[in-house]
Amino acid sequence: MLVSLLRRLIQATFVLVAMTVIVFLGVNVIGNPVDILISPQADQAERTRLIAEFGLDQPVWIQYFEFVKGALQGDLGTSYVFNEPALKIILQHLPATLELAVAATLMSVAIGIPLGLYAGLRPKSLPTRIIMAGSILGFSLPTFWVGMLLILCFAVYLGWFPSSGRGDTVTVFGIPWSFLTLDGLQHMLLPAFNLALFKTSLILRLTRAGVQEVMPQDYIRLARAKGLSNRRIVAVHVLKNVLIPVVTVVGLEFGSIIAFSVVTEKIFAWPGMGKLIIDSINVLDRPVMVAYLMIIVVLFILINLVVDVLYTILDPRIRLNAGRGR
Amino acid sequence: MIENRNIAMQGDDVAENVRKAFEMNRPPILSIRDLTVSFLNNETWTPVVRDISFDVGRKETVAVVGESGSGKSVTAMSVMRLLPAETSRVQGSIMLDGRSLTQMSDEEIRDIRGNEVAMIFQEASLNPVYTIGFQLVETLVRHRRMMRNAALAESVRLLEKVRIPAARTRLNDYPHQLSGGMRQRVAIAMALACQPKLLIADEPTTALDVTIQAQIIELIKHIQQEDDMSVLFITHDMGVVAEVSDRTVVMYKGDMIEAGPTEQIFHHSSRPYTRALLTSIPQLGSMTGKSEPEPFPVVDHTTGEVTPPDPADRSVVPAPDPMLRVSDLTVRFDIRGGLFGGVTGRVHAVEDVSFDLFRGETLSIVGESGCGKSTTARAIMGLVKPKSGQIRLDGGELGELSAEMKVAMRRKMQMVFQDPFASLNPRMVVGDAIAEPIARFTDLSARGVADRVAELLELVGLAPDMARRFPHQFSGGQRQRICIARALALNPQLIVADEAVSALDASVKAQVVNLLLDLQQRLGLAYLFISHDMAVVERISHRVAVMYLGEIVEIGPREAIFENPQHPYTRTLLSAVPVADPSRRHMNRGLDETEIKSPLRSVDYVPPRLPIREVAPGHFVRQVS
Repeated sequence: MLVSLLRRLIQATFVLVAMTVIVFLGVNVIGNPVDILISPQADQAERTRLIAEFGLDQPVWIQYFEFVKGALQGDLGTSYVFNEPALKIILQHLPATLELAVAATLMSVAIGIPLGLYAGLRPKSLPTRIIMAGSILGFSLPTFWVGMLLILCFAVYLGWFPSSGRGDTVTVFGIPWSFLTLDGLQHMLLPAFNLALFKTSLILRLTRAGVQEVMPQDYIRLARAKGLSNRRIVAVHVLKNVLIPVVTVVGLEFGSIIAFSVVTEKIFAWPGMGKLIIDSINVLDRPVMVAYLMIIVVLFILINLVVDVLYTILDPRIRLNAGRGR
Repeated sequence: MIENRNIAMQGDDVAENVRKAFEMNRPPILSIRDLTVSFLNNETWTPVVRDISFDVGRKETVAVVGESGSGKSVTAMSVMRLLPAETSRVQGSIMLDGRSLTQMSDEEIRDIRGNEVAMIFQEASLNPVYTIGFQLVETLVRHRRMMRNAALAESVRLLEKVRIPAARTRLNDYPHQLSGGMRQRVAIAMALACQPKLLIADEPTTALDVTIQAQIIELIKHIQQEDDMSVLFITHDMGVVAEVSDRTVVMYKGDMIEAGPTEQIFHHSSRPYTRALLTSIPQLGSMTGKSEPEPFPVVDHTTGEVTPPDPADRSVVPAPDPMLRVSDLTVRFDIRGGLFGGVTGRVHAVEDVSFDLFRGETLSIVGESGCGKSTTARAIMGLVKPKSGQIRLDGGELGELSAEMKVAMRRKMQMVFQDPFASLNPRMVVGDAIAEPIARFTDLSARGVADRVAELLELVGLAPDMARRFPHQFSGGQRQRICIARALALNPQLIVADEAVSALDASVKAQVVNLLLDLQQRLGLAYLFISHDMAVVERISHRVAVMYLGEIVEIGPREAIFENPQHPYTRTLLSAVPVADPSRRHMNRGLDETEIKSPLRSVDYVPPRLPIREVAPGHFVRQVS
């Protein structure tokens, strides 16, 4: 276990190094921030001074090494726009996205797994047909459209939930959180549901497929032949086997919610990272873009690690210390 | 036929039979009358089991035997009410000890399951994600209302009862950490948890190696006597039937053909189907005194008419040079682990294997799982890279040929695999599957390819117009014929058949073996026949090689290996094969829990090269360490 975690860490370092190169080069290809940031009225001397201040007069590889040098000291550069450390700006916006992502993931698991179990156990019943038809809608309706409909229905006509913002927050450890207040929760519900819709459909279908795969297995027949109740068979013998693929997808999807919650955040004016990164791209705020991408990479690596550990807990056949190039 | 309960007395166990006769007079533990089971298929109810009636007496073993699709498992499942209620309908009566199982509420039947009637299935029936202990405790808590600690102690006792070594430490193991035989022992322990009156064993030994199968059968017999339990044994193997059962029920396509004492079924059956089944099962020892292979006699399922095997000369034409010569073949697989992926162990899959194979000859390689027989075949086909050794086909050394030459050489040898469904692409019509190698390697026109496909299908006994069908439209036996046709497409000289008939039903197996023998004679093929089934090997081979832990321990003419085995392992293997002779049933082999050894060794292991001596012309035996 320890050996394999160590090996994972080494792999993660390689991924990080590779990502810094890709990200840095990629960001350098798209546009020149000088054109946007410096007022057209500025004279040539002023331009040269600013370019030198941003470090943009240096060749790309020197810029890269400057960045790596800073990154190793926890400094991912200073935002051109806010004139503050990029990392600090990202971290200010991260909690909002994180709590939205967690809420959406919890919601999709809480709805998707029970519905998927039901659909798998009673494949021909009427509720199953409705569930499966609904999941197709969940897959295919575009997020922005559903988001706007949700605002229209529940915020504008019914007035049950607010349409934008985070609402009241409580500051814990110097970070503002919405989920600790009722008002914050109300604000969170619609955007979280909007994000959860696709994931719910995915988890639901995965669970259903899992149930249909597990039910005809001999060990389920044996469990029934042992005289166990249906409830115990489903909750103990079926569920744990079904969860194995579901955990992987939930993990990956959690990462993708964080990375791609842009649309929902924009619609519900949720002040998270997604909104920040769109704004930063618009003004070519390179340090913020780079810092954001690096944070996302680190998050993905962490999530994968957690998924791997969960995997070994669920499935004893997979042992991290078994080696074999894992 | 149910009334027919006279017991064949045998001098040495009169007391046993008196006890049995006494038991017989008590009402049976399980009584099935007019059982008809129907499945819902496209909105119509199709009967899959029709009018079955039989009893299982107290302390009696009844075997239900039949080929796949005979309804034997469905019968067993309907006793336990394990068939899905929505898609199956059970009519008739099933009485357990005077109570009707079919009339019970779901709650009542659950109290019976695992408690009064227990069931074991094929080997992989333990839940892979829970420990052995968890699964044993579960049953004890459910039916015997035990507390956790008491249940754990009882679990250890149960595991010891089924002779699992170091039972206490096994409780925390997961199923995959145990061998197949040990897993089946655990399942039996679980079944015994509540001292059931009836044990239903549904093909419990089918997936096991032959020596392990013998152990499990012996264990079930032993426990049955210990616990005074009745056993309903579902199997397709007449050899197993003869070993275990007092009475036998023969089923065919959902109908009960006959039921009666096992001796009577085996020796005096009047039913054509039973006789056909008995004739078509490969029986070890049926070839004693014959040196050449011989096809199975063919028995008509409805008339019972026996067509004796074609008496053609099947001897190998002597040739100065072998077609295939394998010398000192060694295949090892590295096991990697640790932080930097270093080699932590090595599987010595094939160790110093040498043999010759002549034109028109069948050499069988036999052995149990992990002995290296399949790896040898794969190394010859070039599917795994040998560590050392030479493989010469028609004098050409395969390792030294150019890539182009290798392809040409490969055309001379083809492979047939075990699972005929998995080795045919389900989305490709079989004609295309057979045509693929022809179109790739010959200059025939489209018309010519189609003609060749038709010719090949006829050669293996199928109709040419079947070329347009998909694999799922064929039965298992027909699919294997298609695989053989595909292997023959390029006129090979050597066919490597890796367990090619192992997955087939007895009568189909006989037909495919007959086809292989027929093709050999017509086309002069050489076969490398890989199998664990000693009885089939006895039919088909000219020579036999016995492999154990990667090495050939004995090789020689078939007659010599089967009638005069020299190596202890060969003898173990031969004595473990179930013999279709009910009179041997009361022979007690003794309980044994020897596991099949693993060829996984440490990195620095150097295999001992034990000398081989020739005990008779062409009969070589490796010295025992």
